[in-house]
Amino acid sequence: MSDSEKFTKTADLLLEIGSLLMISGANTSRINRSIDRFSSALNFSVHSWIHQKTIIMTLTDNDTKMSATKVYNLPPHAINFKTISEISKASWKAIREGWTIDQIATEIERIKSLDRYSNLVVLIAVSFAVAGFCKIFNGDYLNMTVAFISAFMGLFVSQQIHKKHYNIYIRIFLASLTASLVASVGIIYNIGTNPQTALATSILFLIPGVPLINSFTDLLENNILNGLARFAVGAMIVLAIATGLFLAMYIFSINLS
Amino acid sequence: MTDLIFHLLEVSFWSGIAAVGFGILFNVPRKTIFTIFALGFLAGLIKFSILQFEHHIALASLAAASFVGWVSIPIAHKIHHPPVVFSIPTMIPMIPGYFAYETILSIMNFVFIETDPEKRLLLIDAMFSHGFKMIYVLIGLTFGVALPLLVMNKGSIKQLGGAPS
Repeated sequence: MSDSEKFTKTADLLLEIGSLLMISGANTSRINRSIDRFSSALNFSVHSWIHQKTIIMTLTDNDTKMSATKVYNLPPHAINFKTISEISKASWKAIREGWTIDQIATEIERIKSLDRYSNLVVLIAVSFAVAGFCKIFNGDYLNMTVAFISAFMGLFVSQQIHKKHYNIYIRIFLASLTASLVASVGIIYNIGTNPQTALATSILFLIPGVPLINSFTDLLENNILNGLARFAVGAMIVLAIATGLFLAMYIFSINLS
Repeated sequence: MTDLIFHLLEVSFWSGIAAVGFGILFNVPRKTIFTIFALGFLAGLIKFSILQFEHHIALASLAAASFVGWVSIPIAHKIHHPPVVFSIPTMIPMIPGYFAYETILSIMNFVFIETDPEKRLLLIDAMFSHGFKMIYVLIGLTFGVALPLLVMNKGSIKQLGGAPS
């Protein structure tokens, strides 16, 4: 393999690993550490600038001291912790067993082909999670049923819109609107002891937990730009959720507090 | 007293369920689901017990998150998955989502609806108290879960004790 081919192949692979981790919801220092492990197994040293939509990376061959720089644009984010876990395990194995570039590429292909939970399983699990939230906020079992149904409808709308590749904030706004419209019915017919709780919790499945946690993790580790970018994404999502809820409350003239 | 304990257990159980629901949304490996439920349950128990003594929610979240951070070390070595995979879903039920959208709702009420000056003052109060509560709870959660690594001065849990896996 000629030098330039080797550089191209290594750079593409490392960029793909970084991109997979970023879109799956890993924090910035974890991405840097994973890339470092893979590159040290391949006898390269790497410096990179990682951001929400772009990765810039300079590789230096430890033997020849030649270097190359590449820029890579990331696909849309989709949180996937199985990918994070598998890449982390692969990175340790690559160092320990001294993997070649082809072995790493095969492993990354395998990780990319791993399946997700089916939409129905996710719908049911998330609806139970929302019912749980309703319980935490002092709802009774009738309220929890209302919250369950609202979240189910909301997430169903979200999944259908996701298939059509709409803008993420439009998707979240419509999901929040659907869930809160359904939950508002519970308030109008006064179902359960605390129908307001069902409305207030029915949209919590949309909460940007991963961007917000990663945001503060990045800020704590001095990846300030990424931390701020993630916080902005989280804030935009919260704005979309609140707008949907506000509209539903406006339509039914409900006052939560 | 028995009522109180039963209530705490019930609420913690549903926190565990909520954690698992989000775990499945984030596509966690199947092997970690029970861990997520157990951690979600215990973290919920710690948080709600502390809230029962009328301490601040940010403190309760910090305590629960640092519990998750510390027990993540032996668990990560035992089940061979990096800690984020089960610690983030565990913390999702504690994310101050309610405070987050309540902040925005107060802003929207302030801008679009309320005209009475007295009530507008209350809305400003709500914006600040909910908004900053959200930020402090988030700081408590992330600081708590990162605490072991910060105390031990290490970048990765893999470097902390235990046999290499």
